[in-house]
Amino acid sequence: MKIIVNRQTCDGNGVCMGIAPEVFDVDDDLYLHVAEPIPEDGEIRARVRQAVTSCPILALKLVEG
Amino acid sequence: MAFEGIRRIVVAGGSLAGYSAVSELLAADFSGEIVWVTGEKEGAYSKPALSKEFLQGKSEHSELFLPEIADPRGNLRILRNVKCRSLEAERRIVHLDDGASIEFDGLILCTGATARMPAITRGMEGVLGLRTLEDALAIKAELARRPRIAILGGGLIGCELAASMRSFGFEITLIEGAPMLLGRTFGAVLGDYVRELHERNGVAVLTGATIEALEARDGRVAAARLSDGQVIETDLVLVGAGSAPATGWLEGSGLALSDGVVCDATLASSHPGIYAAGDIARWHNPYYGAEMRVEHWTSASAQGRAAARNLARSGVGSSEAPVAFADVPYFWSDQYGLKLQMVGRHDGHDHIEMQETADRAHPLLTFHRGGQLVAAAGVNASRAVMRYRKQIEDEVKARDRVAEPC
Repeated sequence: MKIIVNRQTCDGNGVCMGIAPEVFDVDDDLYLHVAEPIPEDGEIRARVRQAVTSCPILALKLVEG
Repeated sequence: MAFEGIRRIVVAGGSLAGYSAVSELLAADFSGEIVWVTGEKEGAYSKPALSKEFLQGKSEHSELFLPEIADPRGNLRILRNVKCRSLEAERRIVHLDDGASIEFDGLILCTGATARMPAITRGMEGVLGLRTLEDALAIKAELARRPRIAILGGGLIGCELAASMRSFGFEITLIEGAPMLLGRTFGAVLGDYVRELHERNGVAVLTGATIEALEARDGRVAAARLSDGQVIETDLVLVGAGSAPATGWLEGSGLALSDGVVCDATLASSHPGIYAAGDIARWHNPYYGAEMRVEHWTSASAQGRAAARNLARSGVGSSEAPVAFADVPYFWSDQYGLKLQMVGRHDGHDHIEMQETADRAHPLLTFHRGGQLVAAAGVNASRAVMRYRKQIEDEVKARDRVAEPC
C-alpha cells in the first residue's frame, strides 16, 4: 500500500490526519508527511483508505499492493 | 452486514453525505437496490474547494469531482438532475419532481442546506450567493470585468470570498452586521485576528453595519446603502448570509422537523427506516450531550457512512443494534495563505486559554466550559489542533464512564 500526494493541490487541511494520525501528519507549514511503509494492521489500513477518500481537495491517491 | 428485510434503499441528495452513504452501502455488500436521487447535473463534488482553490483558479472544474463510486454488483441506480419533491414517511414513498414515485424500505436524507439570500438581495443582477458549483461558475463569469465587490456577511464564506477575490487585486468591502468577523464560528479572539488580517491585506472591513438597501442602475446592482447613511459603490455583491437546511420538501411528510430533520443519537429520524446525514441532520451528539446540526465536510462524510451502517442494522430481527454517532466537529478556513482550524464546539464556553506556540507568530487557543476542554482553534497549527481533538474525545469519554451507573 502506497500513498501518492498531489503536491500541487494538497493544502494541508488535516482531514486525513484527523482520520489516520498514525500515517498522516501535517506540519505547521501545512506540509503533509506520510509515514511509510504503512503498518500492516487492518484497522489502520481501513482508516487510511477512508482518509484517502475523505480528502476534500482530492489530493490523495492510493496504490494497493 | 445485516439489512434484514430491506430490499430498496433511496439516498436523497447528491453531495458529500449522500455520496458517502451510497459508498458505504456498497462497501457493506448491500444486495438490494440503491436508488440515488442526486439532484445534481453531474457527479458529487467538493464544496469546500469552491470558495478557495476553485475561485482562486488553483483547481480546475474537472478536479472538483469526487471519484465515481464502484458498483460491482450493478445494483446502484443514479438519478441525476432530478430532485425529491415530497415524502410520505408512513407509506414509505418518495415523490420526485419529474413525476415519478419510488417506494422504499430504507431512506437516507442528505439534501443538505441552501444559501440564505436576504430579501434585499433579490430581484437584481450582479448579486450572487455561493453554495453550489453553478454559483461559483456564475461568480467566475463576473470576474473578467474586474469588479469592485461588496461582500455581505463576515462568516466563513464571506471571509473566504474576500480573501480569494483580494488575490486578484479587486477592491473589496466586507460588510458584517455583528461587531466582529467570524464571531459565531471562531469566537472573538480569532475574530479580531481575522479582521486585522483582512485589513492588512487591503480589504475595507465594516462591522456592526446593516445594509438598508441595494440600489440598482438599469436592473443591475450599483451600490449598497448602509443604515448609517454610508453608500458603497459596487459592481458586484456577493452574499455569505449563512445557509438553511433544505427541509422544504419534507413539510407534511410526517417527519419531525426543527431547523433540520430531528434525529436521535444514531441519526435515525422520527420514522423507522429513515435516517438523515450531513447539513440537514439535527442529531443528538453524545460527545456534547446536545442536539446540533453541523455543516462541515468531515461530519457530512462520517454521518453519511454512519447513517448507512445504522440503516443496515435497523432491520427487523437484526443481530446488531444501531450505534450512536459521536462527533467532535472539525473545520478549517483558508485565507491569505493561512489556515484557520477549529475542533469542537465553543458555544457556551466560560473560559479561553491562549496557548504557547513555538514561534508565537500565530494564535492557538482552547475553549473550556465548567473546567472541561470543549474546543480548540489555531492558525497554521494542525498538529496542535489535532492533538486537542483527541484530548476532547478522551475527556468526554472519561466523563461518560464516570457518569455511567454501576
